[in-house]
Amino acid sequence: MNEINTTATELPWLWAGLSAYALATVIVVRAVLIRGAAAGAAINRSYENQVFLLLVSGVVLLAAALAERWMRIGHGPFVNLFELLMSQLFSLGVIFSITYWRFPVIRPSAVVALPLMWILGIWILLLQPVDAAFPPTYSNNWLWVHVGFGKIFLGLCMVGTALAGTILLRSNPRLALWFRHMPADTILDHFAWRFMLLAFVFHSLMLVAGAVWAQDAWGRYWSWDALETSSFLTWLALGGAIHARLAYRIPIRAGAIFICVVFVLAFLTYFGAPFYSQAAHKGVI
Amino acid sequence: MSALFRPLSSLRLTLVGMILLAIGAALSYGNPDSTPIWVLVVPMALLAVNLLAAIIINPRIHRRGSLLVFHLALLGVVCLAAIGCLTRFEAHVELLQDTAFSTDGLFDLHKGPWHSGDLEHVTFVQGPYTVDYAAGMVRGPTRSEVRVPDGRGGWETREIGDDKPLVLNGYRFYTSFNKGFAPILTWIPEHGQPETGSVHMPAYPLFEFKQDNSWTPPGGPEIKFWLRLATGMTDKEAWVLDGRKTQGVLVVNTGGERVELKPGDTVKVAGGALRYERLSTWMGYKIFYDPTLHWLFVTAIIGVLGLFTHFWQKFGNWSVLDKVPSASIPLPGGEGKVNPSPSGIRVGMREIEHYSLREQ
Repeated sequence: MNEINTTATELPWLWAGLSAYALATVIVVRAVLIRGAAAGAAINRSYENQVFLLLVSGVVLLAAALAERWMRIGHGPFVNLFELLMSQLFSLGVIFSITYWRFPVIRPSAVVALPLMWILGIWILLLQPVDAAFPPTYSNNWLWVHVGFGKIFLGLCMVGTALAGTILLRSNPRLALWFRHMPADTILDHFAWRFMLLAFVFHSLMLVAGAVWAQDAWGRYWSWDALETSSFLTWLALGGAIHARLAYRIPIRAGAIFICVVFVLAFLTYFGAPFYSQAAHKGVI
Repeated sequence: MSALFRPLSSLRLTLVGMILLAIGAALSYGNPDSTPIWVLVVPMALLAVNLLAAIIINPRIHRRGSLLVFHLALLGVVCLAAIGCLTRFEAHVELLQDTAFSTDGLFDLHKGPWHSGDLEHVTFVQGPYTVDYAAGMVRGPTRSEVRVPDGRGGWETREIGDDKPLVLNGYRFYTSFNKGFAPILTWIPEHGQPETGSVHMPAYPLFEFKQDNSWTPPGGPEIKFWLRLATGMTDKEAWVLDGRKTQGVLVVNTGGERVELKPGDTVKVAGGALRYERLSTWMGYKIFYDPTLHWLFVTAIIGVLGLFTHFWQKFGNWSVLDKVPSASIPLPGGEGKVNPSPSGIRVGMREIEHYSLREQ
């Protein structure tokens, strides 16, 4: 069993934030999957405020964890997997909380979105909060721009995927009961693609900002390293899916599958690159 | 004309081009030497032709200003990237402290066939540098001083390093992890004029354990050098690599004889004598030139702004989602109750399918 790192003072904040997300997940699952599916059950949306408050609490607690770690090690969460997962849990929480608050009609899709976030939540619990050296090439304002756009992209992509996942789950008549509060598939499909289109804009901005940073940092704006190749493939996949959706009026469920595939590619770009490349970006050492 | 462009503008061709480009991108991962550039050039050319044809004949593109801007910018990015490849210049150079940049020492040189830069007229002089190291030998910021002409007949000192290159005549000089020490030696032949030069030792501290090199004087046997350095290097705590604060003893091995030299010492070798003048440093630079860089950035940003404007014009009104009816079905059991029968749900869904969400 791993020893607890007593110097990692951000851990209590992290655990508290994850607990808030966990409670939100339990309430959503209970309300949507169990109570919502119960025969003759009334539509009860009172749980939504609790979920929203817990999501916001989780975001605030994770922000505290990030700030604590930042003060402790002297740099932002840009280097190792532990830091990346923690900052993604924060940013995904921010974006999902905003959409949750802004669009009440799609709130039951939290049943899909929160488990997606929990992949990261469980993963980070398995990692040690080791300190990572901050490469000198990371002291660049464009890194912030690049990472910021990337986080917005992944957040929007996750919201689109939550709607796409809802469509796919609802294709099973037994599971359709779970999401009876939500609009029809045609409307969910429409909005899922809206989120994906917006994600495409931010993905494009992320690539541009990343190229500027790479030019400053390593003297080349593109070098087909692990992250560049993977993010370009994601951009192509999303661009291709949008073209296919617009031109061929592909069936709603096929479109939902496309969205999920794009999300998987994006997820692998963010969290898979460390497994097939020692240095995700060339020159990171 | 239209008959020519229509098949070229096909969206099916776009998707084929994208799939080919995805394959090309996957094959290009890591820039392997075995992958030819054509795996990228062919699909990009196909997509460029397809895009151009679509811009010309597809009213859905050319009648929507912002979408047209996005697609034109995309075409522009492809063209600029191609021009960039043809005009690019990349090379590495190692510069000795207090010496001027010269193209003589370039290596790893890659030059596009259309490159017509002015590297020969780039002038700057390398100064001293420092590199911070954190505990555990983790490299921190590099600060390299260079002197460049100030345009008034004098010189101005600039500090560059890491993500802050020196940019002269469009050429960008980036410091690298490749830097080290160089003993300055004067060769005093038995007959002829003395000559002063340097021997670049391997990169430091990467090859701290192997600070050796060799040189063969004119007509003489090879002389082996080994440099014993006192830089203050430690992996226990932070330290600063600074050539000005470094002491170096030069061990000279010639003809089986081993002599240790301090700055100012001389050793007699076959055919003359060798004087160790002082210890100096060298800095390795990556040189990059691409005249399209700024245009690429501006074009890409214009393209994304065009895409965002199009998105906002078409889908900017999100409040429609607030007005969307839920798929739930009010049933005789009471408001908000759902009919437990699956067939009831299906009817409800079908009803909701008739709801048409008008694009804004």
